[in-house]
Amino acid sequence: MKTSIISPERVLFEGEVSSIVAPGFDGEVGILARHAPMVTLLGTGVLRLEAAQGGARRFNVSGGFLQVADDVVRVVTESATPAT
Amino acid sequence: MAKGRELKGRIKSFENTRKITRTMEMVATSKMKRAQDRVVAARPYAAALREVIASLYDPELASQFPLLRQPATVRRAAVIALTSNRGLAGAFNANLIREARTLVERLESEGTTVDLYAIGRKGVGYFRYVGRQVAAARTDLTDRPSAQDAADIVAPAVEGFAAGTLDAVYVVYARFVSALTTPPTTDRILPVQPPEREASSGGKSSVLSSRRHDYILAPSAESILESLLPAYVRNAVYRALVETAAAEQGARRTAMKNATDNANDVINGLRRQFNRARQAQITQEIAEIVGGAAALGG
Repeated sequence: MKTSIISPERVLFEGEVSSIVAPGFDGEVGILARHAPMVTLLGTGVLRLEAAQGGARRFNVSGGFLQVADDVVRVVTESATPAT
Repeated sequence: MAKGRELKGRIKSFENTRKITRTMEMVATSKMKRAQDRVVAARPYAAALREVIASLYDPELASQFPLLRQPATVRRAAVIALTSNRGLAGAFNANLIREARTLVERLESEGTTVDLYAIGRKGVGYFRYVGRQVAAARTDLTDRPSAQDAADIVAPAVEGFAAGTLDAVYVVYARFVSALTTPPTTDRILPVQPPEREASSGGKSSVLSSRRHDYILAPSAESILESLLPAYVRNAVYRALVETAAAEQGARRTAMKNATDNANDVINGLRRQFNRARQAQITQEIAEIVGGAAALGG
């Protein structure tokens, strides 16, 4: 599924991923392909995603929301930095 | 040839000035390009936020959100006036200050108390000079304003509005239309004007199409809106900051280009004068020699 991670300053990531684990407002949210349409608030923590061609990426995110629609995921967060 | 030496000195001095203005023009051009990239890079976030707020917003919910409160009378308003920290940008800061002053005067003539937030050394300096009290003054913003800067600037205004002590918040900034067009602009950021749903196929079906996804909402539409509306306001200020930063460089580039062109004109004029003086002197010397020879031979 197509995923983008968007902060107020720039788009940090854009590409095909196979799974995402995001810090939701009340605990972690896992998203796989063909997830139902959803909008959920994000808390503060580490967002992990598994790229479609393999390879994991991690980002520190805080606030904002995650939207799933038509197998497209948008993580729109108030602050995001790549984590190692 | 005293006149010639004096002209030479002036030409040299203009050439030095031209060297400086031309360098500043090039620096501003490159800074502007980078600032412009940041304006563009900020768009996806604004678009995503706007879209989700529009699809969740329902006019019936408006009364629940403090940020959507529409006060009948505006007793107290905040004006966030953006300017740059540095000059040599033509009328850039003067235009921004005039726009802010006009707004403040209009509000005050309507009986509104105005809290002024002066951002940027030029604005802070001006309002201090005219002896106007400001609620906040910041001169520490760089060429690359961050979303955090925007959040810090607008936080007290959002708090005041939510608490009911402020009835409106405006931001005065330079819109970056193009490198040459950067009109000073006033936007009202509070109360929030909820973004319109995008009419996809026009008419009534637009509501249906935006609801077509039937989202799972966690925790609820109300809580999501409550958390996203302040983010929307912060983003409006962030956009104003990055656009003003880009506009500043654009204005400086234009001002420095004009200065360089003017220096060229002046140098050309002086050079012509210098050559004419040199020629006149040679002619005079020849006339003297010829005159002297004629006197001897006579």
